[in-house]
Amino acid sequence: MEGLYYGWQAVTSMPVLLAAIGGVTWGILGGALPGISPSIAMALLLPFTYNLPPLVAVVLLAAVYVGAEYGGSIPAILIRTPGTNSAAATVIDGYEMQRQGRGGEALGLSLVGGTIGGLFGLILLSTLTEPLSSLALVFTPPAYFALGILGISIIGSLSEGALLKGLIAGVLGMMIATVGTDPISGVSRFTFGNPNLLEGIHFILIMLGVFAVAELMVQAGEERWTEGTKPVEGNTRLRLPSLSTLWRLRRAQGIGCVLGAVEGAIPGGGGSVAAFLSYNEARRWSKEPEKFGKGSEEGVIAPETANNVVSATAIVPTLSFGIPGSNSTAILLGGFLIHGLQPGPLLFTTNPEIVYGLFGGLFTANILMFLIGTVILTPCIWLVRRPKPYLMAAIFGLVVSGVYSIDHSLFDLGVVLIAGVVGFVMRKFGFPTLPLILGLVLGYMIESNYRRALLITNGDHMVFLQDGVSLGLLACAALIIGLSAWREIRRIRNPVKLEEAPAH
Amino acid sequence: MRGNLIVGLLLLIFSVVFWLGADAIPKSRLSGSVGADGLPKMLAIALGVLSAGLIAQTLLMMRTVSAAASVSREKKREELSLYLRGFGMVAIGAAYLALVSYLGYMLTIALLLLTVAIYNGKRPTVGALLFAVVGSVFFYLLFVQVLEVPLPAGFWPRLIG
Repeated sequence: MEGLYYGWQAVTSMPVLLAAIGGVTWGILGGALPGISPSIAMALLLPFTYNLPPLVAVVLLAAVYVGAEYGGSIPAILIRTPGTNSAAATVIDGYEMQRQGRGGEALGLSLVGGTIGGLFGLILLSTLTEPLSSLALVFTPPAYFALGILGISIIGSLSEGALLKGLIAGVLGMMIATVGTDPISGVSRFTFGNPNLLEGIHFILIMLGVFAVAELMVQAGEERWTEGTKPVEGNTRLRLPSLSTLWRLRRAQGIGCVLGAVEGAIPGGGGSVAAFLSYNEARRWSKEPEKFGKGSEEGVIAPETANNVVSATAIVPTLSFGIPGSNSTAILLGGFLIHGLQPGPLLFTTNPEIVYGLFGGLFTANILMFLIGTVILTPCIWLVRRPKPYLMAAIFGLVVSGVYSIDHSLFDLGVVLIAGVVGFVMRKFGFPTLPLILGLVLGYMIESNYRRALLITNGDHMVFLQDGVSLGLLACAALIIGLSAWREIRRIRNPVKLEEAPAH
Repeated sequence: MRGNLIVGLLLLIFSVVFWLGADAIPKSRLSGSVGADGLPKMLAIALGVLSAGLIAQTLLMMRTVSAAASVSREKKREELSLYLRGFGMVAIGAAYLALVSYLGYMLTIALLLLTVAIYNGKRPTVGALLFAVVGSVFFYLLFVQVLEVPLPAGFWPRLIG
C-alpha cells in the first residue's frame, strides 16, 4: 500500500509530470535521429539533472529511455534508417509497409505496441524488483564488494570475442574511480597537485565523453549524411490500429512481451536482441509467415513491443542489485548516484519514495509516450530531414554548454574531450565501453566495501570467502569469466571458416 | 592485429606507471590495514596481467590468421583519414576550450557551431552563418538566461563597461 501511495504521489506531482513530458519528448526526438542512441539522448540530459530533485531527475532519465525506444522506429519506418539499434528489426516490415503506402499504419502499430510493451514491462518491474529487495538483510560489506566484482565480470564477459578487452575496460574504469581524495584516509591520489582533481573525476564527464563525444568523432569520419532524406509524402500520417487489429496481432505482441521481459532482465541482452528474437519468433508462430519481409503487421508490432518491454525490465537488475546491464541503465544509475542514492538491495528500505515514485513516473511516461507520439510525428520528420552537419554542431554545442553547467568549470570540458578520445580509441580497437562506465560507477562502492570489510577483520582477506553471499557471488564471477575464457580459447583454436559465397 | 598488439603493450606500460603512482601515494595512519594505495595497486596488477594476456592472445591469433587477410595500403590510408577526421572534432572542442574565456560564450559557441557544420560537410553559406547565429542565441538564452549558468562572458563586459 505504501508503494501505491508513493507511486500515486509521483503520478500526480507536477514536477514529475513535467519531467515525464520533457523526457518522453526529448527521447522520441533523440531516438528519431539516427546516430543518437537512447544512451546518448540520456547522457546529454545528465548534466541538467544535477540541480533537480532526485525523483524528478530519475523520472526524466527513465522517460527519455522510454521515448527513445519508440522514436527509433520513426526513421526506421519512414526512411529505412533505424534511429536506434533496437529499431533495426522494425525496418524490415515497417519500411515495406511505408513503400506500400501504409507507413501511417506501421507507425501506429509501433506506437501502440510500444505502449503496451512499456506498460507490461512496468508491471514486471514493479512486481519483480520488490522481492529482490528482501536480500538487503544478507548483504554485508564483503558481499557488496563481491557484487560489484560480479557486475563488472558479467558485463566484461559479455563482450563477444573480447573477454580480455572487456575486463581491461572494467579495470580502467575502476582506475579512473580511484582518482581524487581517498574517502577513508583523506590522502590525495593521482591528482598531480591539481585542485580540480581533488574531488575525483565525475562519471558524468566520462559518460558524456565516451558516449556523446566519441559518437560525434565516429560520425565525423563516416560517410556524409545525404541531406534531407525525404520520406514519401502523404504516407506519414499516423493511423492507430483498431482493437480488432490488436486482437488479431495478440500472439505477436505476446511474443514481444515474453522475449522482451527475458532479454531485459539479462545484463547485456538489450532491446536489439529482444527485437530481433521477437521478430523471428513472431514469424515462426505466425499463421501468415509468408507476409514477413513484405509488410507484415506482426513484423512491426512484435519487435516494437519487445524493445519497450526491455526499457522497463532492464531497470530490474539496476534497481535491485545496482548493476546496470546496458549503457542506458548505466546512465540511469548515474542519475541515482548524482543524488547520493545507491541502487541496490537497500534502496527499497532507505528511499522507497524514489523507487515507487519511479514506477509511477514510468507509468506516466508510457501513457505520455502514446499521447505525445500521436502528435510529435511532424517535428520528428522535420528533425530527421535536417542536414547532418547542423545536427552534429547542435549536439556538440549542447555537450560543451551542458558540461559547464555541472560545476562551472572549463577543466571539466577538457576531461570530457579526453574521455571522448579514449572512447573513440576504444571503439576503434574493439574495446567495449560499458565495462569502463560500470567500473567507474561501481568503483567507489567496490573500494569502500573492500576496505570496510578489511577494517573489520584487521586485514584478513579470508573474510571474502567466509561470508556466504560474498563467496557465492565471487564464485559466480569466477565461473562466468572461466566459461567465457574457455569459449574464447576454443574460438582461437578452431576459428570459424567462412565459406566463399558462390558467384552469381 | 598489430593495433591490438600496440594497445596491449601501451596498457602494460601504463599498468607499471599506475603501480608506481600508487606506490607514491602518501601513507596515512587513518587508512587502516589496507592503505589508499591498496586497491590502485591491485588494479595495476590486474591490468598488467590482462594486458599481457591480450598481447599473448594477439600473438597467437596472428599465427593462426593467414597473411592473406592483410589490408591494402590504400584502405589503411582511408582508415587513417577517417580517424584523423574524428580527432578533428576534438581539436575543434579544444579550440573552443581555449577561446571561450577570452571571446565569451556567445561568440565562441557561434564559432563552434559554424566550424563543426563546415567541418562535417556543410558549405560556408549564408544559411550556415544564420544557423550559427540563431544557434548561439538559442544556447545563450537556454543556458545563461533560463538555466542561469554563468558561462564565460569574455572581453565583452570590459568593452561595454
